[in-house]
Amino acid sequence: MLDTIWLVPALPFAGAAINLFAGRRLGRLAGWLGVLVVAASFGLSLWLFADLVALPGDERLAVQHVFDWIEVGSFSANVNLRVDPLSMTMLLVVTGIASLIHVYSIGYMEADPRFGRFFAYMNLFVGFMVILVLADNFLLLYVGWEGVGLCSYLLIGFWHERVRAANAAKKAFITTRIGDTLMLIGIVLIFLRLGSLDFGKVLTGSITQTQPSGVFTVISLLLLCGAIGKSAQIPLHVWLPDAMEGPTPVSALIHAATMVTAGVYLVARTHVFFGASGVALTVVLIVGLVTALYAATAALGQDDIKRVLAYSTISQLGFMFFALGLRHYGAAIFLLVTHAFYKALMFLGAGSVMHGLHGESDMRKMGGLRKWMPITSATFVIGVLSISGVPPFSGFFSKDQILNAANHTEHTIAWLVSLVAAFVSALYIARLVFMTFFGESRVEREPHESPPVMTVPLILLAVGATVAGLLSVDAVTGRLPTFLQPVFGEVAEPVHGLPEAVLTTISVGVALAGILVGWFVWGSGRVDWMALATRFGELKRFLASGWYVDASYARTLVPAGRLVAGFLSSGIDRRVIDGSVNAIGALVQRLAAVGRRVQTGLVRNYALGLLIGAVVLFAYVGARL
Amino acid sequence: MNVPVAHFLVVAVMLFAIGSVGVLVRRNALVIFMSIELQLNAVNLALVAFSRMHGRLDGQVLAFFSMVVAAAEVVVGLAIIVVVYRRRRSADVDDVSLLRW
Repeated sequence: MLDTIWLVPALPFAGAAINLFAGRRLGRLAGWLGVLVVAASFGLSLWLFADLVALPGDERLAVQHVFDWIEVGSFSANVNLRVDPLSMTMLLVVTGIASLIHVYSIGYMEADPRFGRFFAYMNLFVGFMVILVLADNFLLLYVGWEGVGLCSYLLIGFWHERVRAANAAKKAFITTRIGDTLMLIGIVLIFLRLGSLDFGKVLTGSITQTQPSGVFTVISLLLLCGAIGKSAQIPLHVWLPDAMEGPTPVSALIHAATMVTAGVYLVARTHVFFGASGVALTVVLIVGLVTALYAATAALGQDDIKRVLAYSTISQLGFMFFALGLRHYGAAIFLLVTHAFYKALMFLGAGSVMHGLHGESDMRKMGGLRKWMPITSATFVIGVLSISGVPPFSGFFSKDQILNAANHTEHTIAWLVSLVAAFVSALYIARLVFMTFFGESRVEREPHESPPVMTVPLILLAVGATVAGLLSVDAVTGRLPTFLQPVFGEVAEPVHGLPEAVLTTISVGVALAGILVGWFVWGSGRVDWMALATRFGELKRFLASGWYVDASYARTLVPAGRLVAGFLSSGIDRRVIDGSVNAIGALVQRLAAVGRRVQTGLVRNYALGLLIGAVVLFAYVGARL
Repeated sequence: MNVPVAHFLVVAVMLFAIGSVGVLVRRNALVIFMSIELQLNAVNLALVAFSRMHGRLDGQVLAFFSMVVAAAEVVVGLAIIVVVYRRRRSADVDDVSLLRW
């Protein structure tokens, strides 16, 4: 299998091509084809995994050269696919969760007239994401990076007749573009300073000795900009809540489990660069922590069920970046894995709720849904317990690792802030679940449970969200961290801080406290939370708008951007570029007006011309002789 | 009696010049054709003279070719003139100046 790695991205691309051209004729079959190629990719990934672990721990690396792409002078970037523990982990998460979401989409999108095209775009996305994760050089990674960005645009704006969806797609693309451009500059710098773009050559342990650390700071910060854009961290996070305009399977796959994790993957992959620069790691840490807390508070003020989950994703990604900043790369990846399970689960659950309520997504119009949608409710609750960090669910293990690592640094304030963020996380998700599934029902029509094609993936994801914690359970360090060791190196031993048991109790306590408060306010019926929302309306609006960040961009950056764009389009594009092209045309016309006077139509003039020409020719030849 | 080659060449040049002037100045299509024939004959004369000068037959062979081509050209040209004359009742070359800007 290790020499047919190329099949893993090739199959989804093939599925995309077939569905793009023949999707309409296939009808329902298009959906199953989409499922088939991604499931096959997942199967191949499992086989790859088996082959990989058959190798001894130190040698778990396989690079397949698929074909030559660019070889110019000293610059070479070829299509090489790299399988090592990190990319293997990402690959399994991506293909596995994508398979389940594709199955779910067959039910969710069944009434849509562009059914086939949806699966084409989804397959295309999976193909590009696999390329991103398996790339062995920065240029190929960037191809995957841009490809998933494109698919995100296509899928957010899938219902492009809706103005809000079209605008959201544009916003997502343009915002991530800012990060992507800076990242590209970083990639160029990598080549200029380090001589190559291949991971094998550039991401070694000894590379940091070859250049002053300032170089790595600049490179890391530029790459980080790309990660911030793609993973929706402050200040480029504004596109993700609006991206909820897209179909819910899109939100689950792209904006929860896979694409947005690409930034985390990038930093983890290039941790050698970040590690060489203390500044860059600190920036990562601060960005992650601030985003985690900020987004958690914003989630608290949302009334739309998907927007809560969107801000929740931003916040959880913040935790991942926080972990990366603490040099606990393995913990960040572990959170990425568990988050993929429970966040995809909750998004699909929200989709199930919306499907059952015929499109309603405002939580103020829900309530008490668990009596009509038992499977959705039960699986969703598992997701809630997981994200809050309640043992024995998977989220507990991943969050616990990170909070404990925070305590082991000398910056106690970081640990305290992360605890506050964890509390708010539990709070907002408890609010969501109690407003939606428990209490009195405020629904307008009686809902129905979703069909098995949608509930079975929910159940499978719930199982994953429950048991994924086992990936960490091991006598000393944990199975996943050990697996990732060849990539990340040893995990730093705790230097100071409170003992393990105390820390775990504190973090579980924080989680339970959040859920308790959430139950008290929104679940127990003892507090009139609707009146509370009106009384604290100012605060709620502040939180709901994301601390008015988006609005402030709309008032400052957007007009500035429009001005620049206007100048470029009418000033430069129309006047300079079109002008010069038109001027050339006018010049040719003027020359022609002069030149055509030769064509008098009189034969005798032509005869004269012939004669003169002949004479000149003979004179020239004669003179030469 | 040996006539120097130069004499033949001078005659050829004079014929060619007369023919050229005729092509450029006259307006009647038939006269222009006659002038062209003059030019061609001048060339043939020159060719034969050179052939004599070098003592080889190449020039005479080429003169034969030239005569054949001249004959073919006359056929085509006269046919065109006849057609044009039938349409326009005039053989004035200045009248057929439609292919102009």
